[in-house]
Amino acid sequence: MRAQSEHVALSQGPSFEPSRAWLRYAPLTAVPVLALLLVPVLAWATPSRAATAHASRTFSLSETGHLHLTSHHGFTLNEKGSASGTISGTIYIHLNVVSTNRVTAEVNIYPSGGSLTGHASASYHPAGGVATFNGTMAIVRGTGRYSHARGSGLSFTGTVQRSNDAVTVHVNGRMSA
Amino acid sequence: MTSRLPLLTALVLVLLCALAPAAARATSERASLHASFSPNRLATPTTISFGFSLSTTEGAAPPPLTALVLRMPAGMNYTTTQLGLAICQPAALLARGLGGCSPNSRLGYGTALVEVPFGVGSGHEIPEIQAVSGPSPNGNLVVLFYANGVFPVSAQLVFSGEVLPDTGRFGSQLATTVPPVASVPGGPDVSIVSVQTTIGPSHLTYYKHVHGRRVPFRPRGVAVPERCPRGGFPFAAEFTFSDQSRASAATTVPCPPARHR
Repeated sequence: MRAQSEHVALSQGPSFEPSRAWLRYAPLTAVPVLALLLVPVLAWATPSRAATAHASRTFSLSETGHLHLTSHHGFTLNEKGSASGTISGTIYIHLNVVSTNRVTAEVNIYPSGGSLTGHASASYHPAGGVATFNGTMAIVRGTGRYSHARGSGLSFTGTVQRSNDAVTVHVNGRMSA
Repeated sequence: MTSRLPLLTALVLVLLCALAPAAARATSERASLHASFSPNRLATPTTISFGFSLSTTEGAAPPPLTALVLRMPAGMNYTTTQLGLAICQPAALLARGLGGCSPNSRLGYGTALVEVPFGVGSGHEIPEIQAVSGPSPNGNLVVLFYANGVFPVSAQLVFSGEVLPDTGRFGSQLATTVPPVASVPGGPDVSIVSVQTTIGPSHLTYYKHVHGRRVPFRPRGVAVPERCPRGGFPFAAEFTFSDQSRASAATTVPCPPARHR
């Protein structure tokens, strides 16, 4: 994976590994006091805070994927291919044609060491042998080294070759990971 | 009291005169619609055939048609159809007929019956109507209809319909504007009495290049919905005429037999 540009968006957060050894020796009456003391700390360390308490970076993501049809079910084209750009890896797209001029998509990219999942919505314009789509994508989850990946409003564009349903997709925008 | 009678009578007469043309217009034009799938199997690419007939309650030809909206059932699957792999330009179609277009732009074919406002009063067939895929200024599927009239109306005509999303029981609609067709130069417009046409791969041959060779193939059509609603697949049509009167018609394609599901 090569980031075209990156910077530290949030510095390394504070450690939340409190030593619990002294609790063994604390009198029971100290527990309520301790609880009161911990309330603000625990409140600060809610899951959302905890999720961002890591070294996250902001990327300019610029991806191109070339995919071929593996199967289709109903209104959904299931596609597999390779992505290149900021992140390289295998890419899967489930492209769901929800109306004559609208598609939604789930995009999964599997670079080394993790994965990224995005949801996209786009207008869909079939014209002759090529249908084009144009919309936005949000990165909704990741795993491994991308477990904290997030992003929204990324541009999501591409084409479908209607003769064989091959898809070319472009994703551009900023994301954090 | 007696002095008011003439006034009331006049008022009633005025009202009757005002309402009568409206009532006549409301019931004057009649439309019927039929549709079918071939094959009629769930989730299977198909050829859609549809046709309509227009008449008046008085038996005369209807006014010239200016617009037609054909509403098609929800669940029709356009995802994997190969129809319209090429685009036909209207100017080329007008100038050279179907020869001006790639065979991969063909969508279907049909015939029409028109009534000319002179002569014996019988209908005259336009033996050739072709449906091809047209350029799409708004990003929607566009169907160009090419009508090649020879006698008594010698006119080559191109008009277009746009496939738009619809709601409820209907998933899409083909919204078509029909231009006026003069019976003779400067004369009154002809009336469309009936149209039969198809949208689908039946009798169509497309071509692709494989290892430098031109190989014919039959394109995949739009697929029948995966589920059949109670009562069948609904179709509906709304017609607008040159005098602004309207007519509508509806029909259903029966659900396929269970062995075909």
